[in-house]
Amino acid sequence: MSLTHQAGNVPGGIGWRHPHYGELLESLPALDFIEVHSENFFGDGGAALAVLGQAREHYAVSLHGVGLALGSACGIDAWHLEQLARLVERIEPVRVSDHACFARGTAPGRELHAADLLPLAFNNAALDVMCDNVQRVQDRLKRPLLVENLSAYLHFKNADRDEATFLRELVERTGCCLLVDVNNIYVNALNARLAGSAIDPLAACLRWLEQIPPDCVGELHLAGHHDGGDIVIDDHGSRVCADVWEIYRHAQQRFGGVPALVEWDTGIPPLAVLLEEADCARNITADAPQAVSA
Amino acid sequence: MNAIDVLAREQQALLHAMLGEHDDSSLWPHVHLDSVDAPMARRGLQAYQANGLALAERALGAAYPVLAQLIGDESFAPLARHFWRCHPPGRGDMACWGDGLADFLEVSPQLADEPYLGDVARVEWALHRAATAADARPDPHSFALLSSADPAEVTLMLGAGVFLLASAYPVASIVNAHLLDEPALAEAAALLRAGAAEHVLVWRQGFRPRVRTIAAAEYALLAALQAGSSLEAALDDALTRAAAGAPGAAAAFSFEHWLGQAVQDGLVTGARQLAHSPQASRPVESNSFIFHNNPGEHP
Repeated sequence: MSLTHQAGNVPGGIGWRHPHYGELLESLPALDFIEVHSENFFGDGGAALAVLGQAREHYAVSLHGVGLALGSACGIDAWHLEQLARLVERIEPVRVSDHACFARGTAPGRELHAADLLPLAFNNAALDVMCDNVQRVQDRLKRPLLVENLSAYLHFKNADRDEATFLRELVERTGCCLLVDVNNIYVNALNARLAGSAIDPLAACLRWLEQIPPDCVGELHLAGHHDGGDIVIDDHGSRVCADVWEIYRHAQQRFGGVPALVEWDTGIPPLAVLLEEADCARNITADAPQAVSA
Repeated sequence: MNAIDVLAREQQALLHAMLGEHDDSSLWPHVHLDSVDAPMARRGLQAYQANGLALAERALGAAYPVLAQLIGDESFAPLARHFWRCHPPGRGDMACWGDGLADFLEVSPQLADEPYLGDVARVEWALHRAATAADARPDPHSFALLSSADPAEVTLMLGAGVFLLASAYPVASIVNAHLLDEPALAEAAALLRAGAAEHVLVWRQGFRPRVRTIAAAEYALLAALQAGSSLEAALDDALTRAAAGAPGAAAAFSFEHWLGQAVQDGLVTGARQLAHSPQASRPVESNSFIFHNNPGEHP
């Protein structure tokens, strides 16, 4: 699927989490969309689904999954896909996304799910698995899926290409779109430097972006991270840092005004803080050509 | 071994190292190591392990807030981590994880002196699941069947998230004392010391999961209705149960009064005609949401 975006008309949104359910519905701030974790609304009924239904009356909703585990060699969970399909039918989201990761496996007599976004070996076998699973999801949902790049804290020896190349091939083979998390790219670059690589993290991130075809990116994610000294963790627990804003500015220039989302999942601040960050994303977006050339 | 098998083996190694089911030695041949000591790789694995354990504490704490209060955070956190390692998630929806904690508690040597905790966990899990149970669709007009049809050929429709438990412990009182301060904690503790047993009902009123103690007759009535019995058969069960209890209890049980309150509480949503079959007025099967845990008093 080819996406075209118009500069100067870029949707901005926030990850909508439980502490802000009531306040958002009462104040209805000017947002172009909100994003929720799909799995939080897999129930058959109840308050959460009703609240999401109310929000849907005012906002476009992007469904962002954390549990499909698209890169799992054992395949995806049919139950999970059916729950997602039911939610998609109910909410009619503007976008549906999940991650380029694995989480599923087996133990004797049962299935396992790590409840985390575990890294892939970037090779042909993992690409075949990803393509099969993404295609299965797209066939069921009858829409293109957006696939997000990871913060990865381990790297498999068997990888024979870099992440951006892997994702580009995934797009070519399945017609899926990409959700580019610019904070994740930066966290990976910082950790590569901590592991001894002589890279300039910012320059490495810009090279990463240059490898992604502009017309396949459907959404950008922004978030904060935690630098623990010996490792940098993508904890979504602080404001977006200056370097990530700079990477984002380049991304908007390259991809052409992509919907942008601010995520905050740890130590969730007042809603006003998220709205400020979302406004920053929209302003940088609008100024992208000038800012990048400056 | 083909490339997909190799990939699967690599993934299994990381999954098991992360979930702590085995030692992590099977992982290291598969991952890129920055040095012989591999500090970044080891730190990376620790990050995944720590994230999983923190998630376990949050998820279990959300589903079992009363249990967490009863045993204290200093005991609940290691319990959550131990449960995570022994019973890791099977699905990508963490709201599904935590079932089975009651059985886990009951075989825990450290909690052998607190045998009521298992039933507390059962009630809390029922409350947790009731929160996302399918919304009830009340049909008030259907109650006209109760005056026009044979009670042997109609039954009542129950609301969302109904769960029944016959416990040897005063678990509804314990749970409500912690969640609602009603009864007072001291009163719930006195009931526990006195060896009080309770029949427990969990259901959802509107969007609010609720729990309360019910009489033996109401328990029998609801259990029969949940199992698909006719109203006539369910009432027979209730009256039989009431007659076996305190003197005068059967005469005191008023179906009309009970029904009015049950409709108001969202526990009963309507009436429906049973299919015409010889078995229609008998329970068709045991319902998995009825849990008997009173060894001396099976209803």
